This record gives sequence, structure tokens and C-alpha cells, in this order.
Amino acid sequence: MTVPGGPASAGGPAVRCRSLGVSFGAVRALHGVSLDLAPGRIHALVGQNGAGKTTLAKVLGGLQAPDAGDVHIAGRKLPSGDVRAARAAGLAMVHQHFSLPPSFTVAEALELTAARPGGRSVYRRAELHQRWQDDVAEIGGEAVLSTRIRDLPVETRQSLEIMRALATEARVLVLDEPTALLAPAAIDALFERLRRLRDGGVTVLVVLHKLREVAAVADTVSVLRDGELALGPIEMSEVSQGRLSDAIVGPASQADRAVGVEAATGTERRTLLELVRVSSRESAFEPGLRDVDLRVEAGEIVGIAGVEGNGQRSLVSVIAGLDVAAEGTVLIGGADATRAPPAGRRLRGLRLVPFDRNSEGISRRAPLWLNQSALRLVERRRRRLPLISLRQYKQQAAMEMDQWRVRYDAVTQPAESLSGGNVQRLILSRELAPGLEVLVAAQPTRGLDFAATDFVRRSLRGLRDAGAGVLLVSSDLDELFENSDRLHVMYGGRIVARFEAPYDRRAVGDAMTGARR
Amino acid sequence: MEQILATTLRSAAPLVLVATAGVFAFRAGIFHLGLEGLMITGAFTTVAVGEATGSVELGILAAIGVCMALSAVYWWVIGPLGANVIIAGLGLTSVGLGGTAFALGAIFDRRGSMFTDVVLPRPVSGTTSGPGVIVSEHSILVWITPLIVLAAWIVLRRSRFGLRMTAAGEYPFAARTAGVNPSIVRLQALLIAGGLCALGGAELSVGALHNFTENMTNGRGFIAFVAVIFGAWHPIGAAFAGLFFGFADAIGIQSQINITERVPREFVLMIPFVLTIFAVWLGGLWRRRSLEAEAGYAELREPDY
Repeated sequence: MTVPGGPASAGGPAVRCRSLGVSFGAVRALHGVSLDLAPGRIHALVGQNGAGKTTLAKVLGGLQAPDAGDVHIAGRKLPSGDVRAARAAGLAMVHQHFSLPPSFTVAEALELTAARPGGRSVYRRAELHQRWQDDVAEIGGEAVLSTRIRDLPVETRQSLEIMRALATEARVLVLDEPTALLAPAAIDALFERLRRLRDGGVTVLVVLHKLREVAAVADTVSVLRDGELALGPIEMSEVSQGRLSDAIVGPASQADRAVGVEAATGTERRTLLELVRVSSRESAFEPGLRDVDLRVEAGEIVGIAGVEGNGQRSLVSVIAGLDVAAEGTVLIGGADATRAPPAGRRLRGLRLVPFDRNSEGISRRAPLWLNQSALRLVERRRRRLPLISLRQYKQQAAMEMDQWRVRYDAVTQPAESLSGGNVQRLILSRELAPGLEVLVAAQPTRGLDFAATDFVRRSLRGLRDAGAGVLLVSSDLDELFENSDRLHVMYGGRIVARFEAPYDRRAVGDAMTGARR
Repeated sequence: MEQILATTLRSAAPLVLVATAGVFAFRAGIFHLGLEGLMITGAFTTVAVGEATGSVELGILAAIGVCMALSAVYWWVIGPLGANVIIAGLGLTSVGLGGTAFALGAIFDRRGSMFTDVVLPRPVSGTTSGPGVIVSEHSILVWITPLIVLAAWIVLRRSRFGLRMTAAGEYPFAARTAGVNPSIVRLQALLIAGGLCALGGAELSVGALHNFTENMTNGRGFIAFVAVIFGAWHPIGAAFAGLFFGFADAIGIQSQINITERVPREFVLMIPFVLTIFAVWLGGLWRRRSLEAEAGYAELREPDY
């Protein structure tokens, strides 16, 4: 794929990486990656979690200095690790994590992060607003300029990030997992936008997780595996889905099998979790619950769909006991648990895979074994001596993690050193332990690569088949359709629609957007 | 009443200057507990260099230089060396308090305190009655403090430099994506803070008084830090908080003069601190909502490579 020719030749690649290498301690994030991207096309970059996609994007954007190799934009070599130089060369980046400070107003954030020449270093508010009012036309116009970033909906923030990147005459746009936080409709809008940019001559490199999305938008695709370029860039028309999957997963590796769990329930259909007319206080981000009736029986997966921010978090908090129901009753295993503390609910068999695995699911700095055995430590029977054997706990943690195929070096390494998929496995190994009756899984596959996603989904189904109840909260409709026995839609803190399989995508979508009540 | 207002201004000026220093540091993401140490170093250096050269201007310039140098060392310790910010800050305070007491003995062979003839000019003086008392007998630094606060507001809230500083403190990733090195921004903020602390200390020793006394800051650096929090790390807010604490101080001083017959002295001395605790509680109530919002945002940051 390499195009011959001297520097700055007109027909050369828009972006050229030569033998890029980046290491973090003993971890080789990138190794010998050479990649040429032809101008005016949409290039997809795929790979598993920890394959080096984000690192490569950061190197291109100048946020990460490579240990080896260099980057050329339009034939010119970039100084390594220099954000300003990358921008000056016409490369703009949209980050995986929002890169705008939450307390800033939109105008301030644009002034800080968009490299647009002009403007004075000391300004008046009105001046600043005038400078940016044209750019925000499509996300709400001038009024939005004095809104704080943290008060914007997720979609608007994403649009703003892209807008910021394009505020200069960017010739190369790098997007790192832009779809991870978006609702399906917003993803389509994003892709449409990328196509328009491409038609305008912009070279786009987009990091994606889902092969369906790659097929929808990309002209060429490249695959990273364990920090090395495993495939590509290759035309989408020349590559089959199967070949892509093989390149992502690797030849020797096989998709591992879900681990079955012995659920401690009988066979008859009984209600494991029930909410009766529950309402709760609203939070800074979400409406509270309003009159929510919900029931999860043994041996079923109940899905909760909804655009993010419609009360799903409140629902999970009220069930887990992190938030108190202002009205109504929460029953776990048939007994009233409305006022029970989180630990009490766990003892009755409630388990939780929380929304944000890195801040709610694990203690990032704590060693793996402590993360794994935290619940066993908490739930120890009172009558036993208050002494524990560290060695025994470490051994058991290692056993459990091995069973769930968590990839780690030592049980004493901090949990933050694991990749996203492995963190989720760690959480599952802890939560899906004996005693489980009902599991609340909140966005359990968000941000996971497809092998890990598949693993988690199969684990949930295995749980159901073993007679446990599962409440699956997700913003991925396909995930809900494929796994739920019943599906509820939340809107504005209420459950506004209830569906049974087979699902009508259109009807569910209408309920999610409030078009149908 | 006029006396109380006059004393309020005099007590508040050093607090406001040091609180402004704290605002710069806080915006850049540093919980600056070294303010007290920088303040006393500023007070001492002004007197020491002023005595040696006979010039108060040179004294203040030297104080600014010394405080900036100490701030640079502080930055080096918490930045490149990676020491804990709080502990290094408290260390800086100890060095300032102990170092000035030691230097007082080693250089001037004094114990406890020393008098100085080198003082700041006082634009208005000699008024003994009427409303004029409020503005009388204040050093030039008291007069320019509002200007410094205004300048701080412009720099922090109406300039690109301020945006970069706030971003570096609040969300370093945002600063880095904007091509800003958060560490360098922190150094700049600390240098500015050092200079302001020097001014606050100088006001204490050669503005309001004519001497340097061991531990003469007496916790003002920490009260200024509280003013930063209470003022929601906004330059104007922190200035008003400083003014409020100055007022509390003035009430303490005045009632000490007027009502010691009836009220125990210790109780009167307690007033500013009780007010401080109350103010911090109140400030906490106001800010709870925004803190909740911050916590919610945190989940969107999920550094993975």
C-alpha cells in the first residue's frame, strides 16, 4: 500500500506513520506500526481493547510521543508529541473521552481548545460569543454559548467536540471511538457528517468497535492486534467480515466460552426483584423514578432500554440501595428491602455490574486480589474470628480470576493496569459468585471489544438458564433485542412501554424518543 | 463604627492579597497550603532587605523575588519530584515560619521581633475623626489591593491565559488536548501566587506595622486559603471572603478594646475563628450541587489505552 515518491509529493498519503513504537513500562502498546492513509477517504481502525488503537490516535494527535518511528502529514514530518504542531499541520482530533472542561461555558471551551487564529488574549464575553456564534448554529445557536459543558446532553457534547476539531481548516480528522456514547440515531448522523467531510476532501481516520459500524461508514479498514498492524489498510470491498474478525482476534486465540454459574434458585417461576410504584428524587443528571413498577422473575432477562439520562441510573441506584426510594416498595426475594442497606441487599442475593466499571466497579489503585475478594470479606459470617488469611484470599482470588480468564500477571498488581474487557471479567468473577439470585447489569458491554462483549452476553444468558433473574440496562438496542425475554422502555423516569419478543425496532425507538407514550 | 471599618480594610488587605494568590494556585489545581510560609517570608524579607538598603521598594522587590524562588522550589518538589501537594505545602509553611525566626536571630541577632523605620507610604493620613478615618492611615498596598483583585479577575476570567490555567487545574486532559502543558501552567500560577504572598507579607510588616515579629502571620495564610474555598475560587468571591474575615478580625480587635470589662478576652479572640467555621459551612452548602455534578462527570473519564 505504500505510495512511492518524495516528500510532499501531491499524490502521496495524507498521513504516513513509519515504524511507530510506544511502550508503557513493560507493556508494548505499539510496535513497528507503519501505516499510510490515502487522502480524501474514511479509514477505519479496529482492534480489541488494549490493541493500541487509542495510543495510535494519540500519537497522531501529538498527545503521546512515540518511543520509535515518526508521523508525516502530507509529506511533512511532525515533531513528536507536539499537539500544536499536529494542529498546525492540519490534523484535528476528537477524543474518546470528552476533552472539554465541564465547568467551562461553550464559548470558553471553544476559545481554549479550538486552534483558530485571531481573537485577543484578553476578551470581553460579548466579543467571545461573536467570535463563535456561527460555529454553534447547528447545536442550538448563540444561546448555547453561555451554557456550561456539564449541562449539555451527551450528543451535543459530542457534536461540540467534532465542531471544535473542525473549527480550523482541518485536512485530517482523527476520531477515537466516537460512537461509544451515542444513541443509534446520533451515530447515523455522525456517519453522514463524516461522509460529507470526506466528500469535501478531508481524510478521516475513525477508531471503531463494532464491525457493523465499520461496514456502514469506512472506505478502508486497518486492524491492530497487540500493538501491531495485523491487517490493512485494505479496501472494505476486498475484505470479508470473517477475515476481519480473524485479524482482530488472531489466529491462535479462540473465543472463550462463558463460564456457567450455579444459581441458588429453585426451578419454579418466582419473583426475585420487584418494584411497586417506586419514585425517587431527581439527581443532577437525571430525572428521578416516577411510579415505576418492575418485576424480574427467576430464569428471565428483563431489558431496560432508553436514551441515556432518562432515569436508568436512578433505577439502578434505587435497586442497589445507593439511593433511597422516596415512595413505593422495593422487594428482593419477596421480602421488603426498601430501607435495606446495600450490604443487606447483597445478602439476599442481589448483585450488580455497575455503569462505570472503572470508578464504581473496582478500586483502581487496589490490588486485583482485594478487588476480587472484597465481597467475600464484607459478607463473612459474623460468628467467625475476625482474622483472615491473606494467602488464602489471594489464592481464591487467583482461582476465580483464572476461571473467568482474566488476563493478569500477579494478583498484587493494581486493578487499573487491566484493559477494559479484563476489568469487566474481574467484576463478573466477583459478582457472579454463589448466592446470586438476581443480577443488575448496567451497560455491561459498553466500550468492550467484540470478543469481550460476546463473552459477557453469553455469561448473562448462562445465568438466566441456570435460573437466576437478570435486569439488563443498556443503550445498545441490538444487545437488548438479542438477550431480553421482556423489554421495558424508560423515558423521563417512567417506564413508558413494555414489549415482549419478537421486538419491533420502530415501536421501541418511538417509545425511547417519547414519540409514543 | 468608622474605626471598625478602617480596621477591617487594614486587616483584610493582606488576607485579600494572599487569597488572590490562593485563587491562582487553586485554579491551576494546587491546594496551596504553603501560603502562610510564603507570607511570613515576604514579611521578613521586606524588613531585612529594607533595613539593609534603606529602601522599601527594594525590600518589596527582594521579597517578591525570594517568594517566587521558593514557589519555584515548591513546584519542583510537587511537580517533577512528585511529592504530595498538601504535605509539601505544609512543609513550605514550616520552612517559612522556622526559617524567618532563625534568620532574625542569625542576621540581626534579635529574639522575637525587630522594629524597622522602613515603611510603606500612606497616601492619606492624619484624619482623626469623621468618615475620613475609614481611609486614613492605610499603606499604599491597601489602596492598590482592589486593583490587584480586578487584574486577577481579568487574567483568570477574561483571558486565554486564565482559560488555560483553569483547564490545567480542572481537567488536565483538556489542557493537554489544547496543546497546553499543565505542569508549566502550574509553575506560572505558583510564581504569580508567590509574588502576591510577598505583597501580603509586606503589607503586614511595613504597611500596617513597623516591625517584623516571629510568627506574625498568625494563621492568616490559612485563613486566606479558607477565603479561597469560601469564595468558590473566584477572584472577586475570594476578595469578599477576605474582606469578611478582615471584618471578623476587626470586630475582635475593637471589642477587645471596648468590652474586655464584661466579656472574657479569650472569647473575643475566638470570634473570627467561629465566624470562619460558620462561613466554611455555609460555603459548603452553596457548592454542594456543583460538586455533585463534577462527581457525575468523572465517569465519562475512563482513561484506557
